[in-house]
Amino acid sequence: MISVKQVSKSFDGGQSYAVRDVSLDVRDGETLVLLGSSGCGKTTLLKMTNRLLEPTSGTIEVDGTDVSGQDPIALRRMIGYVFQGIGLFPHMTIEENVAVVPRLLGWPAQRRRVRAHELLTTVGLDPDTYASRFPEELSGGQRQRVGVGRALAADPAYLLMDEPFGALDALTRDALQQEMLALKKRLKKTIVFVTHDIFEALILGDRIAVLHDGHLEQTGTGEEILQRPATPFVRELLAKPAQKLAAYGRIL
Amino acid sequence: MPWNAWMALVIERLPELWLRTGEHLMLTGTSTGAAVLVGIPLGVCAARVRWLRGPVTGCVSILQTIPSLAMLAILLALLHRIGAVPALVALTLYALLPIVRNTLAGLEGVPATVVEAARGIGMTPPQRLMLVEIPLATPVIVAGIRTAAVVGVGIATLSAFIGAGGLGQFINRGLALSNTDLILLGAIPAAMLALVVDGSIAAFQWGLRRKRSRDTRFRAAIDRAARPLALLTPAALIVAGCLAYASTSSHSSSSASESAVTDAGTVRIGTKNFTEQLILGELMAKLIEAHAGLSVERRFNLGGTMICHGALTSGQIDLYPEYTGTALTAILKQPVIADPDEAHKTVARQYRQRFSAEWLRPFGFNNTYAITVRKSDAASEGLRTISDLAEVSGTLRAGFTAEFSERPDGYPGLRRAYGLRFREVLDLDPAIMYQAIASNEVDVICAFATDGRIAAFGLQPLRDDRGFFPPYQAAAVVRAEVLRAHPELRKVLELLAGRLDDATMQQLTFEVDEKKRRPGKVARGFLESQGLLRKRE
Repeated sequence: MISVKQVSKSFDGGQSYAVRDVSLDVRDGETLVLLGSSGCGKTTLLKMTNRLLEPTSGTIEVDGTDVSGQDPIALRRMIGYVFQGIGLFPHMTIEENVAVVPRLLGWPAQRRRVRAHELLTTVGLDPDTYASRFPEELSGGQRQRVGVGRALAADPAYLLMDEPFGALDALTRDALQQEMLALKKRLKKTIVFVTHDIFEALILGDRIAVLHDGHLEQTGTGEEILQRPATPFVRELLAKPAQKLAAYGRIL
Repeated sequence: MPWNAWMALVIERLPELWLRTGEHLMLTGTSTGAAVLVGIPLGVCAARVRWLRGPVTGCVSILQTIPSLAMLAILLALLHRIGAVPALVALTLYALLPIVRNTLAGLEGVPATVVEAARGIGMTPPQRLMLVEIPLATPVIVAGIRTAAVVGVGIATLSAFIGAGGLGQFINRGLALSNTDLILLGAIPAAMLALVVDGSIAAFQWGLRRKRSRDTRFRAAIDRAARPLALLTPAALIVAGCLAYASTSSHSSSSASESAVTDAGTVRIGTKNFTEQLILGELMAKLIEAHAGLSVERRFNLGGTMICHGALTSGQIDLYPEYTGTALTAILKQPVIADPDEAHKTVARQYRQRFSAEWLRPFGFNNTYAITVRKSDAASEGLRTISDLAEVSGTLRAGFTAEFSERPDGYPGLRRAYGLRFREVLDLDPAIMYQAIASNEVDVICAFATDGRIAAFGLQPLRDDRGFFPPYQAAAVVRAEVLRAHPELRKVLELLAGRLDDATMQQLTFEVDEKKRRPGKVARGFLESQGLLRKRE
């Protein structure tokens, strides 16, 4: 379980806050989506979880232990991370990219290789075709599959995903969302998923936490949020896609 | 230039060419290697520690702006030695800029998303550097090394000025002997070497690239076999250079080896960088080899009086030919002494006390500076003495050696003594000076009285009617320590005492400068004619 307790983060010494007094729990095995528009603090909150950023105040606990007392390197290796910009290493083959965390952990070469091939299969890439290719030879969707594979490599209990499908075209994104849904059921990871896309949040999230201007507006399942929006912001946020759907309906 | 004659020269000099190329590769390879070892960490520090960036790039840029010869002279003064060490330090300092700059640029060019990913998956800072940042910056860094190495091949030609060998030695000697063929013997291989070095690092770059060849299985197989080989090319080149050097240096007359201690059976002879000195060096070397039973290491062509003197006093050479007037004014900084014997006694006494060095008996000639004009001008203007020249000096252009322009017994003193006021004064290389007056580019030069080209080029020395120039009697200056170890050296070297008068010396330099005979052969011929050396059968 990840517990965020009254966490605030300011980048300018307290004049303004990217995250302000946020508390929430991510339960074991669930996918919690952090939903909000850009600049609302969702990525900042994610990065504080594995100490890429340090909170200004408040604590974050993983498995009941305050992360601020843990070695950040060890912490990051036990928490998978999928990056917004994907961030594959361009000089490494796909296989080497996927096996990079096991390499840091000192696994023997043979075991890394078996694991990398297994993971490529898991994320839907044929190892025989792709293992020895380089990232620039892959499409955007294929690269993000590799990014997910890399995050899963050391079999971490937690997975942090920062708008992983944000840069993909709509069709690819839909396909990957469906696969992600299947994958998370199979793998039973505890996932924190950041997105600004309400549909993505509704499809993938067991629960959704809505952030606005660094504040937590509401936490709940998709249904709860749709039916009982807690604040005017949440209501408005959800009204937009409803209007859009209605507009589509008229056209179709 | 007749091509065949040049090729014959190449073939004749092949063993030495091989040695100099080896030396050149060693100089370039070692200095580039050292610059890589220093420059890459420096670049990494500058990339990591923000406030270091300005000072580091600033310092290496300033180093780059120091002219090469000035850099060599500064290092000579700082390190108190000639030869490969100051040359390597200078070359290393020059190689730093492209390597540091490119390391910095390469590291800064790593995409931010990749750096964040490396942090986010739990790489320690050293792992991030070694596994991600350095590999991604490598193409840019290697490009910097490539620039450094190619520029290094060029600059390394200058290390011959301080006795470090390399292909520059041919260029240097060619300049000293006004021998174009010899200049090209150094310049053409140096240019070719630059291309080869560039190619070897290009091959290295190609070997580093890890892109899958998707064409055919055949091409992929060639790639797999060729890329590791390509990576080895620069190393192979350096090994080849060392082998060339090692295989020839043992039976070569001169080498860049660095020993400050006298090898029991070896005498190291230095000379300045003009024809007369080279001939004197050869005369002494051949006598020592024949009569003293010692081997000789020739460290000829050192770039000027101060370099020779520094090499002698720091024990890097054992002896070299010097002139009394030069020693008195340029080294001891004392007033001119007009009487030749008195001058010789004075320098001998002072050298013994101050430098633990002995002046042997003079060779006989007085190589004074001769203010010289074209014979045709002397006739038309009625010039016989320097005083005559002073009256018309306002319309004339002078070309002097750099040393003459600065020395108190050179132009500064001469100007005061005669009230000379030339329209223009150019600094010229000794060899180029004669060409310049022959082709009317200058009207007055500071010739050497014993130079065969005075007669050959139709020049007229003017009489020093106010007795400004001190006597410049040439004699060998030998370290006292060496004379103690080999007392017989004095007798052997003084076989030459009084045998070389002005006319003889002019004849010998003429043989070298105009007939393009090698100093060694001219020296042997003279010694044989004097019965000092048995004729070869």
